[in-house]
Amino acid sequence: MSTTLERETSQIQPERPWAKQNKSTLVANLIAVIIPTTLLAILFFVTEIPGPVLVVAFFFPVQLLTAGVTTFFDRGKRGLGDAVLSVACVTSFGLVLALLGSVVFSVIARGLNTLSFSFVSQNNIYISPTTEISYGGVGHAILGTLLVVFIALIIAVPLGIASAIYITDIRGRAAGFVRFMVQAMSGVPSIVAGLFIFAAVILTDVVGFSAIAGGLAYAILMLPTVARTAEEVLKLVPKDVRDAAVALGSSRARVTLLIVIPTAKTGLITAVVLGIARVVGETAPLLLTTSNANNTNLNPFTNPVATIPVYIFQFLGTGYETSINRAWGAALVLLLIVSILFALTRLISRKKREKQ
Amino acid sequence: MTVTSSTLETKSSYPEPRYFGREKSRTTSDKIFSGTVIVSALSSLFVLTGILVYLSTNSLPIIIDQGISFITGSTWSNIEGEESFQIFPMLYGTLFNAIIALVIAVPISVFLALFIVFLAPKVISRVLVIVIDVLAAIPSGIIGLWGFLVFTPVAANWGELLNKYLGFIPVFANDQGQYARSPFIAGWILAIMIIPIITVVSREVLAQTPQELIDASRGLGGSLSGAIRMVALPYARGGIIGGVMLGLGRALGETIAVFFVLNLIFDVNFYQILIPEGGNIASMIVAKFGEATPNEINALLGAGLVLFIMTLIVNLIANAIVKRSTRERLS
Repeated sequence: MSTTLERETSQIQPERPWAKQNKSTLVANLIAVIIPTTLLAILFFVTEIPGPVLVVAFFFPVQLLTAGVTTFFDRGKRGLGDAVLSVACVTSFGLVLALLGSVVFSVIARGLNTLSFSFVSQNNIYISPTTEISYGGVGHAILGTLLVVFIALIIAVPLGIASAIYITDIRGRAAGFVRFMVQAMSGVPSIVAGLFIFAAVILTDVVGFSAIAGGLAYAILMLPTVARTAEEVLKLVPKDVRDAAVALGSSRARVTLLIVIPTAKTGLITAVVLGIARVVGETAPLLLTTSNANNTNLNPFTNPVATIPVYIFQFLGTGYETSINRAWGAALVLLLIVSILFALTRLISRKKREKQ
Repeated sequence: MTVTSSTLETKSSYPEPRYFGREKSRTTSDKIFSGTVIVSALSSLFVLTGILVYLSTNSLPIIIDQGISFITGSTWSNIEGEESFQIFPMLYGTLFNAIIALVIAVPISVFLALFIVFLAPKVISRVLVIVIDVLAAIPSGIIGLWGFLVFTPVAANWGELLNKYLGFIPVFANDQGQYARSPFIAGWILAIMIIPIITVVSREVLAQTPQELIDASRGLGGSLSGAIRMVALPYARGGIIGGVMLGLGRALGETIAVFFVLNLIFDVNFYQILIPEGGNIASMIVAKFGEATPNEINALLGAGLVLFIMTLIVNLIANAIVKRSTRERLS
């Protein structure tokens, strides 16, 4: 069926003459890039005008002017809009690249000075804000973060996947409502999740500041991400697979648990990883639920526990040179964890694509 | 779709496929399974009601005591006997920062989305998609750290220049000589955090613009910018507005990054973006929480309730807009 369609469309494959790049366009573009940047560089090194003023008051007008003039000679009056558009697009691109580059570069450059084996393995007992950097570290906070995230996973993953299954497989009457609720939940600010758990669990004296309270707060933030991604993934399981299982006499529970979920396994793992990535750097809910500690605490039910985000918060607040270095070091550890998770999702999705 | 149904029609003896999904489950195991799934699926409902119930029951005495001035007054005091919990400067500041963030982020995000979909060569647009993903994945704590130690000095410098050359405009006025920890910087930090959301949503809706419409516009001799202005942007308008609203929801609720770069003052700063005075509900909760009295804790829960309701409304509107614009396109 699809082959006939393809053959028909291939006969009338449209040509797009306007998309062809000819030499004059190339030359025009080159001129439009080179002239303003050279002028900017000359002015920057020769005059004393501060950089930002130069960029805003000089570079942009000149860039727009050159781009306008060159496209005008290349394509006539209609090219002017294109010139403005390209300049705006490339500027936004450069700005975002610069901002991201600055964030990543500063975390890596300043964090590497701090990072050492003792920094990731030791805890924070007997460490004051001015203690030398070779003593103490984020070991306890790494373990604490893993503990809190693990508790959140135990709670949020089954609930999130169940929400997705309800929407895609059971397709009950409330499917639209459940999706609506999950969407509404994805907008809950992280601080509100923390306040809620604080009011519901800590104020009522069920548990004190502890890893379990932090895990509950993280679970609230994680659930919508897991549910929405899992829904997308389960939707991709072919209906034929489900129909075949039903035709062979499987019950609904069997179809879902033994056929649909294993088929969508890799996608569901991606959903879980995205859920972890969503919460792992959140500071605000943990300030209200796990509080902070200097010792290693692996008991999830009692006593405060340290986590990397709160560790950064703690040491940034004191303002001493060494403690700020500690904050950068912890930020680098956090960034490494996030990038490992990020690489993992890419790897999983690539493997899946290769299989197909 | 039409092709499939026509082939089916030729074999009229072919049985209609049965949709087992909506049938009632019969066996016990099925009943247990569906029951568990339904209860778990309603967990988000339980959580949302839980948030409303717990935050409002705890804060109700304070809110009733303060009356309407809880959200319109501007004094905050936890001193015994003269307690007063009023959040207007923080509430206004939250909206003010979010609006600054939108003013910065919306043009950048829309141009980025246009760049990815229409202008950039394939390689660059693929790189840009990854860049946006990475930016979205950076934890807010790290953005806060970077914003406080790296970005603030730079942005304070920009602020000073803005004041020097455009200071005659009231918005850029600053008679305090201090440029760090201003709403301008908080707005930039929030913008960095919402650019990924707006860009991703805009990119998705822009990519759905029918190629034939673009081709038709170009084929009639229109420029690319003309095609984008007359075809793609009107087509994607609903989705882009929805993405902007999602970004707004995120900007209203952001805590830690703002906490580090904004000076919280219980005195409303109505429009001066460069002076080091601002407000933010979420940051105020973090700032006050550590040494709060029991009554103050309840007032903070009330502030959280106001924030929750505000973001909930913004997000629901956003989702409705996104949903409607995609449905229109599918039909």
